[in-house]
Amino acid sequence: MMASMRDDPSGLLRGLRSLAIIVMLWEIVGRLDLVADGALPGFSEILIRLWEDRGDYPKHVAATLYGSGFGFLIGNLVGIVAGVAFYLSPTLLRLFRGVNIAVFALPPIAIAPILVLTLDGMAPRIALAALGVYFVAMTSTVIGLSQADSRAVDVVRAYGGGKWMSLRLVQIRAAMPSILSAFRIAAPNAVLGAILAEFGGGGRWGLGNYLLGSLGRAEPDRLWGIGLVATLIAALSYLAFALLARQLVGASRAVTLNTALPTPAKPIGRMQNGLIIGGAIALPFLVWWGFIVVSGVPDLISKTPLGVIDYLFFASSAASAQARLLAAFAETLPITFAGMAAGLLFAFLLAISSRLFPNLVRAFMPVALVTQTMPLVALTPLLVLILGRGASLTLWVTISVTFFPAFVTLAQGLALVPKSVQDLPKAYGATGLQEMQMVTLPASLPYLFAATRLTVPRALLGVMIAEWLATGKGLGNLLNQSRGFLDYGMIWSVAAASVIVSVVFYFAVVVLERFTLSRMGMQTAE
Amino acid sequence: MTQPDGISLTGINKIFAGRGRTVEALSDVSLSCPASSFTALIGPSGCGKSTALRIALGLEQPDDGQVIIDGYLPAEATKAGLTGTAFQDAALLPWRTVRRNVEVPLEVLRRKLAQEKDQVLDLINLVGLKGYENSLPGELSGGMRQRVAIARALVTNPRVLFLDEPFGALDQILRRQMNVELQRIWTETQSTALLVTHGIDEAVFLADRVVVMHSNPGRIVEIVDVPFDRPRTPDLFSAPEFHALNNRIAKVLHDGQHEG
Repeated sequence: MMASMRDDPSGLLRGLRSLAIIVMLWEIVGRLDLVADGALPGFSEILIRLWEDRGDYPKHVAATLYGSGFGFLIGNLVGIVAGVAFYLSPTLLRLFRGVNIAVFALPPIAIAPILVLTLDGMAPRIALAALGVYFVAMTSTVIGLSQADSRAVDVVRAYGGGKWMSLRLVQIRAAMPSILSAFRIAAPNAVLGAILAEFGGGGRWGLGNYLLGSLGRAEPDRLWGIGLVATLIAALSYLAFALLARQLVGASRAVTLNTALPTPAKPIGRMQNGLIIGGAIALPFLVWWGFIVVSGVPDLISKTPLGVIDYLFFASSAASAQARLLAAFAETLPITFAGMAAGLLFAFLLAISSRLFPNLVRAFMPVALVTQTMPLVALTPLLVLILGRGASLTLWVTISVTFFPAFVTLAQGLALVPKSVQDLPKAYGATGLQEMQMVTLPASLPYLFAATRLTVPRALLGVMIAEWLATGKGLGNLLNQSRGFLDYGMIWSVAAASVIVSVVFYFAVVVLERFTLSRMGMQTAE
Repeated sequence: MTQPDGISLTGINKIFAGRGRTVEALSDVSLSCPASSFTALIGPSGCGKSTALRIALGLEQPDDGQVIIDGYLPAEATKAGLTGTAFQDAALLPWRTVRRNVEVPLEVLRRKLAQEKDQVLDLINLVGLKGYENSLPGELSGGMRQRVAIARALVTNPRVLFLDEPFGALDQILRRQMNVELQRIWTETQSTALLVTHGIDEAVFLADRVVVMHSNPGRIVEIVDVPFDRPRTPDLFSAPEFHALNNRIAKVLHDGQHEG
């Protein structure tokens, strides 16, 4: 209690110090036009431009806030209700696994055009924002509920209390920290979702529209201003929920370590298992179908799963469509993997060196956390200014969107390794390197896998956005072109294919993870 | 009509399967604890003594065998509030005050909290925590948290009291103090008590009978009667006959080590 109170202000101070240094460097570099002929203006120049543009902002900000705010509300509501339902019925959770993973893995930019085609007005923005929020809220609820102290649940059960009673007395309250941290993480996701839908939506107001509209004009200071405002919105909402969480959950940490073993799930029959897996695979397609039926959009524009299969395999233009789609994948996938691998590698190296160079990481961590609140991919136009429109842009966008979340996952995971375990090798005179080899490296493995799972969809999203907005290559470009040509079949095909590819790679990581960790007797990290 | 046994386990078997091998946690365990008696279960780690207690409470299902608690099935007995339970760890809800933690069983059993208010405060006094009613568990020492757990176990006026190493986390001095207090409290309630413990002296000091278990498979090897009169005072801890009985039980426990 005392320790944490002493730690926090100094942590904040360190963060502010790092931030101040960055802003100062930025000002110097910007004023001297050192980056790409003035693509990075000085900080003060951006602020001045912000002031000059002050008349434009209120309506754009209001539109983005409207979309992301409603999306945030709806996504959390659906996510929490679904989380409770999934917790109460593991069968339901397994049945919806396909839908949940698809929602997690889908690159939002891929389905933005679809939502714009099928929904009206602000609805596409709200829907995309809600999709970004749903998964975080749902998993945090399930994890929070199931990670409630099993000993406390035992006390309730020992007095004959059932699932509802332990949910009411123990688990909902125990899940609060987890749910509140979901709000925090989901807030920037909602802003990102709304902005991405604006990119593809062609509306008049919204920061995404403003950003897109200013991209063609050689006004770096305005672009940076918009980026700053978008970041500020996301960061403020992140901060608001972080403060709320601290207010509400201060005293609720368990006082002792729970050593009770988790109870294994009940084994179920082969037949039943097969049915559930089949259902889990079919359900996303049923949801897709149902969505089209409910939206009532004509067949010409909206394609059902069968429609996409027909377009890609049986229609007269099928051969050309297939070729274009495959060519786009061939351009997109290699750079996605390269960027992801590089981002993960940097993150991994930095995180494991935290035990060797604690001060370096301590200084860097606040910066990494701040970037967590940025709708990073929405800032692609800024990177276009600096890096131009070549392949290096795509690579850097991908690295930047994978590096930060991977680093935070790894560093926070390593921080969970008990102090006594870390100190044990030292007590026998181990060197820093030996200690790293014995404790830090193995301990980081579950988090490396978790980070990889986390970054698969982000990497694809990063590449597709860069392709869409700047490089004119690959899947992102195909999607953007198809919008222009009103090639509805291709829009749906790209969306479906990119979601499927993302899900497949996600599963590949999961399989590898299960295999490796079970051989090492470790558990997967959430 | 004779009074039913407080706790009766008949022919309990329980096998745990995991990681490719099976562990026979309990093999044909039968045990009956007469009403208002105090029974201690003692044995090495992994001999299934905690599993036996969890089965008696209905937290685990036996593979076969029958459990009767005060004439009822475990699920009926717990739902009727006949049982009280304290675990090895206090298992307090960290966001609730001491008073609200003691009230948890009452809430689970949907009793009227207002009517039991005095009883709750009396219990908190009884375990020596007067003045800490509104403290959070994080603000208490380990011994104090365990006393909250004891108060919580007693709040329903249980007919049958299950104690799973309730003082396992405490130091020896505090533990003896708590043993003396537990005996006093238990004598007042006249409930049937089943105590799972690692401590021979604790078992002998508190119990009417000490049930010794061995592992692989988990089974009962001997039931030792403890003849000392009640109320027992702390002097007993240094009496020669107390040590003689401790040594005898230690020998029974020790014999299992050679077999295993």
